[in-house]
Amino acid sequence: MINKTLKMGVVALIAATGAFSVAQAEGFKAENPQCIAPSNPGGGWDFICRTTAKYLFDLGVIEDAMQVQNMSGGGGGVAFAHVTKERNEDNNLIVAASMSTSARIAQGIYEDAEQDDVHFLATFGAEYGAIAVGKDSKYETLTQMMDDIVADPKSVGIAGGSSVGSYDHIKPMLVAQKAGLEDVTQLKYVSFSGGGEAMTGLLSGSVEALSGDFSEMLGFLESGDIRIIAILAPERLKNFPDIPTAKEQGYDVVGANWRGLYMPAGATDEAKEFWKNAIMTMVADPGFQETLEAAAIAPFNNFGDDMYNFVAGSIADVTKLSKEIGIIQ
Amino acid sequence: MSDRIFGGFGLALAIFYIWAASIIKDSFMVDIVGPRAFPYIVGAILGLTSIYFILRPDDEPEWPIMRDFAEILFAGAVMLLYAWSLPEVGFIISTIFATAYLTWRLGTAPLWSLAIGVMTSVGIYVVFHLILGLSLAKGPLGF
Amino acid sequence: METLSLLMDGFAVAMTAQNLFLAVLGCFLGTLMGALPGLGPANGVAILIPIAFSLGLGPTPSLILLTSVYYGAMYGGRISSILLNIPGDEPAMMTCLDGHPMALNGHAGEALSLSGVASFVGAFVATCGLVVLAPQLVKIALLFGPAEYFVLFTVAFATLGGISSTNQAKSAFAAALGLGIAMIGSDSQTGSQRFTFDHIHLYDGIDFLIAIVGLFALSEVFIFLEHHRGGSVGATNATKIGRIMPDFKMIKYCLPSMARGTGLGFFAGVLPGAGASLGSFLAYSLEKQTVDREGKTFGKGDPRGVAAPEAGNNAASGGALVPMLALGVPGSGTTAVLLAVLLQLNITPGPLLFQKNPDVVWGLIAALFIANIILLAMNIPLVGLFTRVLMVPTRILMPIVAMISFVGIYSITGSTFDVMLMVGFGFVGWLLRKLEVPLVPVILGILLGNQMEVNLRRAMTISDGDWSVLVGSPLAIILWLIAITGFVLPMFMGRRMKDRMQKNRPDDLAPGG
Repeated sequence: MINKTLKMGVVALIAATGAFSVAQAEGFKAENPQCIAPSNPGGGWDFICRTTAKYLFDLGVIEDAMQVQNMSGGGGGVAFAHVTKERNEDNNLIVAASMSTSARIAQGIYEDAEQDDVHFLATFGAEYGAIAVGKDSKYETLTQMMDDIVADPKSVGIAGGSSVGSYDHIKPMLVAQKAGLEDVTQLKYVSFSGGGEAMTGLLSGSVEALSGDFSEMLGFLESGDIRIIAILAPERLKNFPDIPTAKEQGYDVVGANWRGLYMPAGATDEAKEFWKNAIMTMVADPGFQETLEAAAIAPFNNFGDDMYNFVAGSIADVTKLSKEIGIIQ
Repeated sequence: MSDRIFGGFGLALAIFYIWAASIIKDSFMVDIVGPRAFPYIVGAILGLTSIYFILRPDDEPEWPIMRDFAEILFAGAVMLLYAWSLPEVGFIISTIFATAYLTWRLGTAPLWSLAIGVMTSVGIYVVFHLILGLSLAKGPLGF
Repeated sequence: METLSLLMDGFAVAMTAQNLFLAVLGCFLGTLMGALPGLGPANGVAILIPIAFSLGLGPTPSLILLTSVYYGAMYGGRISSILLNIPGDEPAMMTCLDGHPMALNGHAGEALSLSGVASFVGAFVATCGLVVLAPQLVKIALLFGPAEYFVLFTVAFATLGGISSTNQAKSAFAAALGLGIAMIGSDSQTGSQRFTFDHIHLYDGIDFLIAIVGLFALSEVFIFLEHHRGGSVGATNATKIGRIMPDFKMIKYCLPSMARGTGLGFFAGVLPGAGASLGSFLAYSLEKQTVDREGKTFGKGDPRGVAAPEAGNNAASGGALVPMLALGVPGSGTTAVLLAVLLQLNITPGPLLFQKNPDVVWGLIAALFIANIILLAMNIPLVGLFTRVLMVPTRILMPIVAMISFVGIYSITGSTFDVMLMVGFGFVGWLLRKLEVPLVPVILGILLGNQMEVNLRRAMTISDGDWSVLVGSPLAIILWLIAITGFVLPMFMGRRMKDRMQKNRPDDLAPGG
């Protein structure tokens, strides 16, 4: 244990010094850096900014404390427009992003936004979607539920933590499509404001099932208040081998939500390089990895060209899916 | 009479509101109630109460004379100007002038007003920015 | 008994010198932020998170600091309500109604110390409730489905009639105005843009802080401008501040009000969809219906009208911690921020929190008790200091208040548009005041509008459009009965009162148009 910590510490140290030498060689140093969380305090994006701000400062990657600015609005659209229109050349700005960011770009919810309007910097984590039912539910497997849904889509209410058409809604629609439901828009999706509220909907018996991210369900799974009947992952999770995937029950659907950051497209190459290295340093830190693990977020790292291709692929996927199930033209 | 005019404005607002509700674009999928039903109800209440004001107005309130009304409009304009100038010239400078204007109009001698403006501006900057660490508007001079 | 020993362990954690210092610091900063218009408890906590982390504090000390700020801000909100008629945060809105008239009558000191005691009672009882009842309370909270929440909000609007205005139509208009403003922005159910006219700053709706600061604080500035224009400096009519130490007779007189306010507030706090604003609102409106049906003293400086909502909003802030800790569902903006803090400290709130992290939970609860006592000890002697604010001439005080309001909004949203919107609200607030349209229903509409609509739509989606779901449970039916009583009673009472008034003063001029 000690040995492992030590080893990881050394890795982090090397990474940290690496970041410094690169940064110094190219003469860019962050001054009064800022992280914009495109939402109110609390919630996923805010978590990204505050965690990043804490670790970058603690690790000495940045000398000034990073200010977190909350800029809510338009599901992240206000912050996106602010960055592209007003601060396109700011070298000291990073912005929290996730699957919702690429999904909303794909569905055209951000006015005329494209991937190249900003510079997608990195992802550092991801988690899979899951479908849960209450502990006393009659549904033991996803198959039983899907049979009922195909027979009568209105018979099963599914709660989710964001609006109709969001990724939480798309995931069960995809499963239902694989199950053979013709008009997946018939699915009874009940939109709640946030994963926590959706969970109360399930616990109070207002709805039969819940679609959300795995991390949000973890505590309730362990306490025995809910059962997870399917995880939307390619294979079973290492730490939770009892939870079946949707794929093995015959519905080949994978739903992953990534967490990461973007920065203004007009920033200098030195700045982009600096921030890439900064995130790399953070990802190498064992403390940071523990924070992710506690939040049930799996490591998922993309940088540089990988990141560009990943986001492009993510946007293309959502576009394709949304067209398939007929929610965008 | 004021209440009747108010009712007229309220009615216009209600009609505008209901019209604006009617042009809400449906998303690709809609729940059973839909995004328009609640706004229609709200608009209807606005309209009904406005009609009531027209039919049964209250006593006349005491309106300010023209000069005072202009005073209020000017103060509002100065506040708007202040909001606009925040990112342009920075927090400290714009706050000095906005505070000084309001203090002066409320009856303090001009020079004193300026002094109070400086003190308020610097005081707020110290408490909010330096102690609480809030981000205030940064002008070209850095404060 | 086990609970008690766990709590004792908690106290052992919280009573270290460092933690006590943090609690005092947090209480002070919280009171300050609560008192400044535009900065509420949610922002207060959010702002201090980076400070807590940059100090390198561990989970428990960080939580102690931040919950002290939370409770402190709930205490502090009342100060500007009473002294300036400007609520420091949204639940303190109801304290304006009787607190400011008390200050105008020369009882600012009493109002402040009484509200301090009421806050203490509310928060203290709520914290006890949190200790004893948390798991059971969660079950009650889960009885509320979307339909029940909708009826609960209907109760709030139905009892509105008894509040603030003699003209019920104006109350209704004000509430509709607030509800209408709440509809602006992306519809949370479908994502449709409503009333935004393609203006991106409106996509997320109008923050109630902008409305509350504009309507209350800036309209106050305009009113002063109107009356104190060019040279004619009027001294404030509240130079008399009254007793600074609490008046025990008055406190005893108000104890039943505090008890009722505490009960209602705590209940509202426990429901994750309701929150502190609803708590203080219900505490005030039901208190008024209980002890002052004829509307003789409430709204004119009745100390019970200060005690009930203050006990209510502080009890609600304690109650809101129940769903936050036990379900991971924040019942208010502030608890949402605290939830983020917990997550950041690697603590996952949820049903297992009490088993998994007992040290954190009980340390937190002990910290709440300590913060409460510190706040009471700190607030009573500070009453004298606070009332000094009234000694500052209006011509200087008002511009400063205006500037602080601007700064509060700007530093949170970082948008000039929002500041301009606030000026607009200020002007509208001035007009509405002139026309005797009450402002409280407007704010209530903005605060509750979306929740009310969204719960109705959820209930309808679940029932496939069957409206009978709204009376589908015994709980819903009970709530409807309360709502109907609350709506009908003041109308009946109001008529009786009018009759009596006309009998007593037959020479009064008939209202003219």
